[in-house]
Amino acid sequence: MTALGKRARARPARGAPAGFRLFGRLRFGYLSPAVIVVAVLLYLPFLWTVYLSMTRYDGLGSPVFTGLDNYAKLLDDPALLTSLRNTLLWVAGTTLLPVGLGLLVAVLSHDLRGGAWLRLPFLLPYALSGAGLGLVWGFILQPDGVANQILTFLGMPGGDASFLADAPGNTFAMIAVWTWQQLGVNMLLFAVGLQSIPRAPIEAARLDGASGWSLFRHVTWPLMRPLTTVVVGLALVASLKTFDIVWVMTQGGPGRNSETLAVTMYRDVFNADQYGYGSAVAVLLTTITGLASYAYLRHQARKETH
Amino acid sequence: MRARNLSATLRRAVLAVLGLLWLVPTYLILVNAFRPAEDYRPGEALKPSGELGLFANVREVFERTDLAAGLANSLLYSLVSPLLAVLVGALAAYAIVVLRIRYGFAWFMLIFGGTVFPLQMLLVPLFLGYSRMSLYDGRLGMVLVYAAINVPLAALVLRNYFGGIAISIFEAARMDGASTFRIFWRIHLPLSWTALAAVFILEFTFVWNDLLFGLTLTQSETVRPAMTELAALTTDVYAGTPVPIALAAGLVVSLPTVALFLLTQRLFTRGLSLTQI
Repeated sequence: MTALGKRARARPARGAPAGFRLFGRLRFGYLSPAVIVVAVLLYLPFLWTVYLSMTRYDGLGSPVFTGLDNYAKLLDDPALLTSLRNTLLWVAGTTLLPVGLGLLVAVLSHDLRGGAWLRLPFLLPYALSGAGLGLVWGFILQPDGVANQILTFLGMPGGDASFLADAPGNTFAMIAVWTWQQLGVNMLLFAVGLQSIPRAPIEAARLDGASGWSLFRHVTWPLMRPLTTVVVGLALVASLKTFDIVWVMTQGGPGRNSETLAVTMYRDVFNADQYGYGSAVAVLLTTITGLASYAYLRHQARKETH
Repeated sequence: MRARNLSATLRRAVLAVLGLLWLVPTYLILVNAFRPAEDYRPGEALKPSGELGLFANVREVFERTDLAAGLANSLLYSLVSPLLAVLVGALAAYAIVVLRIRYGFAWFMLIFGGTVFPLQMLLVPLFLGYSRMSLYDGRLGMVLVYAAINVPLAALVLRNYFGGIAISIFEAARMDGASTFRIFWRIHLPLSWTALAAVFILEFTFVWNDLLFGLTLTQSETVRPAMTELAALTTDVYAGTPVPIALAAGLVVSLPTVALFLLTQRLFTRGLSLTQI
């Protein structure tokens, strides 16, 4: 300790005015608020959840340690399996649709006169929060809602569909709503990225006769790779934690058939008072998020080296 | 050349069709939020109403629900927590980058690591811990948790930003006899105000839009944020609240973040692009 302290104080003094020595010890005063807040309100709860996931606890009395029982129970809980399937649908849906369509709109409107105006309709929905989104779409998708009237009016099948009732249709409907909102922000990220990629290789390829699809496929797209990695990665992590929109539109129902892992976790804890089991769901969600991010980043890093 | 004009026309056409499709829900939301509540018929939701009902609907929202209190609470949390977070994060960044604390990178990773896991990991312990310490259903508890969640982002951005400020400025100020805190307060904070503002706006929006902590850590109308109030409204949209009033509530709650973003858009893009130095 003393040796450490001496070195810490000695270091800034090297070739510096005498005053530097004074704040040597005070420096922790600048760091400690952040460290304390993060440790107490983020790390401590994290560890507590890991512990609770290995207990049986109804919120009264004290937790009973049960080892890995909760995790074993997860495996044959039909509600959890449904929730896992829905979460995977959300991951696939949101990394494909809002990101893919966002890229499409960004590329089509790039370098186009009046492009900013053509992009505007996609940006408006981003004003709504997750809860607001669920609220305003509820009336469009309800059985006597506008969506069904439009389908009937156009003479298309499904005019009598109840979009939010049957699984997995209700999850698809909510992914569509999410796409409607999220396309804008993804498009914006891609549009900014397109503006910042170097012009020279694109002009060179143009001179060589490349245009349209092949220009995009072989020149623009590879140049956008780092940005795409970030955008898809963000969508991936966010989709695993989908909660707000599902909670507001269906509350995970009917009959728990549209729950995502985040909704299941909330329900187990706050509606069923199963604190231990709910914590195990939270740990599962965290593990999946961690593994998915790791696998994704590794995959991307590999591709980049080739 | 002609081929390129053709492709520009084609691109415009695709964008216009897709854009119109995207505008349909926006149109439906606006038309029905502006419609007098008693005129709403599910079968005629597509047709605009001749009368302007928006203001009456908004008034009705505030009379029927506790949204006014919710908005005040949300405003409190969205202003105070990010302010605290930005200040605490900036102090930590200052200690790490400018005061060159030992193991600075490890400390930074410790702080930043606080946000890598899903927030679901925090819910149960915070609920249990807050209940025991009578922080449950209190404004202080909400301010604290939102501040803690937002510290890592502030530390990340300001660590990058302070790194771009020449260390010679710090050394010169020391020579002139300025205290470390004075240098932080009078030099580093003012120099990085665009980054501070950009982080603040991002965090304001996050807190304003958050539903999870409002649902789990609050109960009474005097503490609940607006999003929780809004979510409660949807459960009885079909039972009681007329559609135009629910839609008006959705618009009212979205307004502050939209206004903030539009007002600061310039600064926002500037603040973020400068952080990439």
